[in-house]
Amino acid sequence: MAEPILDISGLDISFTTYGERTQILHDVSMKVGAGERVSLIGQSGSGKTVTMRAIIGTLPMPPGSIDAGSIRFEGTELLTLDKRARNRLKGTGISIVLQDPLLSFNPVLTIGRQMDDVVRFADMRLGTSRPRAERQAHIYEVLRNVQLADGERICHAYPMMLSGGMRQRVLIAMALLNSPRLLIADEPGTALDVTTQQEILILLNKLVDETGMSLMLITHNLGVVREMADRIYVMQRGRIVESGRREEIFSKPSHDYTRELMDAVPSLYGPKVTDVANDKADRTVIKLRDLSKDFPLRAGLFNRQVGISHAVRNVDLDIEHGDIFGIAGESGSGKTTLAKMLLGLFPPTTGEITVDGRNVADVAGTRDFRKLVQIVYQNPGSSLNPKRSVGDQLSVPLIFAGYDKSGIPARIRELLELVDLPARYASMYPHELSGGQKQRVAIARALSVDPKIVVLDEPTSALDVLIQNVVIELLQRLRSELDLTYVFISHDLSLMRNFCNRVAIMFRGEICEQGETPSVFAQPQHPYTRALLSSIPVLTDDEAARKPVVDAAERQAVLASTTTLTQEATNVSDWN
Amino acid sequence: MAGPRAEGNLGMTFYLTKRALSLLMVLLGLAVMIFIIARIVPGDPARIALGPLATAAQVEELRQEMGLNDPIHIQLWHYLSGLAQGDLGKSLLTSRPVMDDILQALPATFELVLATVVLQIVISIPLGVLAAYYRDTWVDNVTRVVSLIGVVTPGFVLAIILQLLASYYLTIFPIAGRLDPGLEFQASTTGLLLIDSVIAGRLDVFVDAARHIFLPAIALSAAGIGQVMRITRSSMIEVGSRDFVEAARAYGIPERVVTFRYMLRVASVAPLTILGLEFASLIGNAFVVEFVFSWPGLASYGVRTILQKDLNAVIGVVLVSGVFFVIANLTIDALLGIIDPRHRIREGQRA
Repeated sequence: MAEPILDISGLDISFTTYGERTQILHDVSMKVGAGERVSLIGQSGSGKTVTMRAIIGTLPMPPGSIDAGSIRFEGTELLTLDKRARNRLKGTGISIVLQDPLLSFNPVLTIGRQMDDVVRFADMRLGTSRPRAERQAHIYEVLRNVQLADGERICHAYPMMLSGGMRQRVLIAMALLNSPRLLIADEPGTALDVTTQQEILILLNKLVDETGMSLMLITHNLGVVREMADRIYVMQRGRIVESGRREEIFSKPSHDYTRELMDAVPSLYGPKVTDVANDKADRTVIKLRDLSKDFPLRAGLFNRQVGISHAVRNVDLDIEHGDIFGIAGESGSGKTTLAKMLLGLFPPTTGEITVDGRNVADVAGTRDFRKLVQIVYQNPGSSLNPKRSVGDQLSVPLIFAGYDKSGIPARIRELLELVDLPARYASMYPHELSGGQKQRVAIARALSVDPKIVVLDEPTSALDVLIQNVVIELLQRLRSELDLTYVFISHDLSLMRNFCNRVAIMFRGEICEQGETPSVFAQPQHPYTRALLSSIPVLTDDEAARKPVVDAAERQAVLASTTTLTQEATNVSDWN
Repeated sequence: MAGPRAEGNLGMTFYLTKRALSLLMVLLGLAVMIFIIARIVPGDPARIALGPLATAAQVEELRQEMGLNDPIHIQLWHYLSGLAQGDLGKSLLTSRPVMDDILQALPATFELVLATVVLQIVISIPLGVLAAYYRDTWVDNVTRVVSLIGVVTPGFVLAIILQLLASYYLTIFPIAGRLDPGLEFQASTTGLLLIDSVIAGRLDVFVDAARHIFLPAIALSAAGIGQVMRITRSSMIEVGSRDFVEAARAYGIPERVVTFRYMLRVASVAPLTILGLEFASLIGNAFVVEFVFSWPGLASYGVRTILQKDLNAVIGVVLVSGVFFVIANLTIDALLGIIDPRHRIREGQRA
């Protein structure tokens, strides 16, 4: 490698909270060459974000402090650089794309205003200035580089008016406004649907090719890394544990942690895939017949109904006893609405749901029905009450189920044991638990009333991949021990391949394809299923070769565009 | 590019119309409620008006005249249609139309309340921003103590203390009243001394009026300042941890612009909302503070009429307070609509 554009060596960073000093980064060294794509991999809490902040100069100090080491950018030491010179590099030398494209924009300023600020103040720092019209022309040009043609409309829009994919494109454009030599991308596209994510990754690769800038990608998704990196650094608990060329690390990882990470990623195709069977399918426990749910769209001075949104349309499903039935789909496909109707939380517009032989319309809200069907939510951080102890939270459903007061403590111990938590956890509060432990508590809570059916709404999507596996194993064990039926809602098809025995794919409120998991994945029929599968980042060339091949026309037919404004946005701007 | 024009009016008219309509409903509800309460209160208004010496025939005559013998819905109709024309009936106490009495006292109260709100905004929001910026340093601690004192001290106690210290012992502020009696001035354009004196080019009147209003306005604003400041602080800290702030900093936008344009604009939604809600208690407290400073506003009129069971006048005072509250909140809504486009867009698209 010639002179690296970014050269970090021996970086030690610590944080002091309440007088207690914790070292976060230990002797971190890494290099990024000009025009190179480097990935920094690690789980949450491994120190990736702290590293990024140290590079761009947004590390809060205090509580943070840089104790040793150096960060050199194009030969200049950043850590001792005076503030003005350092500020001059922001956005022009080094720029960033943060994880969540919605949260990265100021919600109350138009896109145009924010982009113009970025250009204007960069000019100011460099001691030049351009007239407004020139800046505007420049912004439109950069937007065109991320394949957004309608610069004027986008600049007049507020961030919330754009679709997720489009926002991500604009965000990339924002980072590129001042032609940085190094772009740091923190989990780009992971907040988006997989089909959109793929488009963003393709775009980033193209931009690196065209502009010759360097890319530093921070991620936990190894599939993304495979498509996006020349070299890789693996970080664990603030240390770089392994580094090397992508092909080397993917073919023969040398460090245990790297191997663990790679093994933990569920495979889509190939020898690592496990087929799940259901040998208890003796009866149908959930029957959905011609199920639809419409939501009225209201607008105007008196909230008149102006339209209908068909969240779920004509769904027919049969879920057998003992099934792990996967319902897959992207955001807005109607899978959560379906789950809520299944739980009796709101009634369908038309159609019928039968659970265990009973019509949900008749039994919803009754004690017996609540005991029959339970749910585990996506994010245990927000589904658990932070102000109540674990024991308290487990006792709530027990009381509602009419449990005898004196039997509750014993039952709580039993439940904690069931999810592999020590009994003393009953007196702990959610903030004392790790993400995986919290999700166990949430599972214990769902199981407290001995349900027969558990709806799992993306139960592992907020967890790191290593912890995901532990939770999945727990769920598998509980299913056989307690004779449960799972309805598993997710957008993670790789996980579903290895966890569900049957799957249904939802697309714009309808079920476009369903069947036994192996056959759906081996021979996807619907173009949408094919597009979804083809977009999933996988770990090996072998798997990539087995993915369905989807041509551009087919994709276009089923996927929403991320380069044109949606109808919704159009309506909003028409009010002027 | 995205100038004020583009940011300005995205459904703003629609949003405000909608807010105004719902606030009108609030006023209508208030009017009907007061009417019902007035009918439930024991005592025959005609008897009270005429006094204990009047004969039954005289009372009956007045009942007829006041329409008290009509069916209740007819009475309500007369009352509401009178309200719509700005007719609040006659005061028993002064024998003048209630509307005239109120209009006479209103500007003084309005001026005091307005000055209070301006003080609250001007003092509390910058202090809140400062406290957030210098979080956990002595600046933060000092503002915390000041705000606590403001919140826990009742307005009238503060009023008396201020009057005693600043007016009686130090004699740096006038002790009571709205304007030095020696100054000849008729506030005729808006009724607000501070504005009319500027229009008339009378600097001496302006200074004197400002000196008179200062202590009552401070006494009245203290509680709100404390609250709004704390909320501004926590709101700024919360917004400061959001991704877009880090992004703006990483793109090299100067700290001053990040603080005021990027953070404060988002963070000001909560304090502004609180200001609107505070307004209700502000009107109530204003009555007490007006009393302490002999401020010639609605307070003395309101209290006298309540003690005399002068129903028309009481209804009038309550309704005027309601109108005050509604206008204040409509103003806040308009501000929120300007600051945060999501308010007006959500209103237009609510499902």
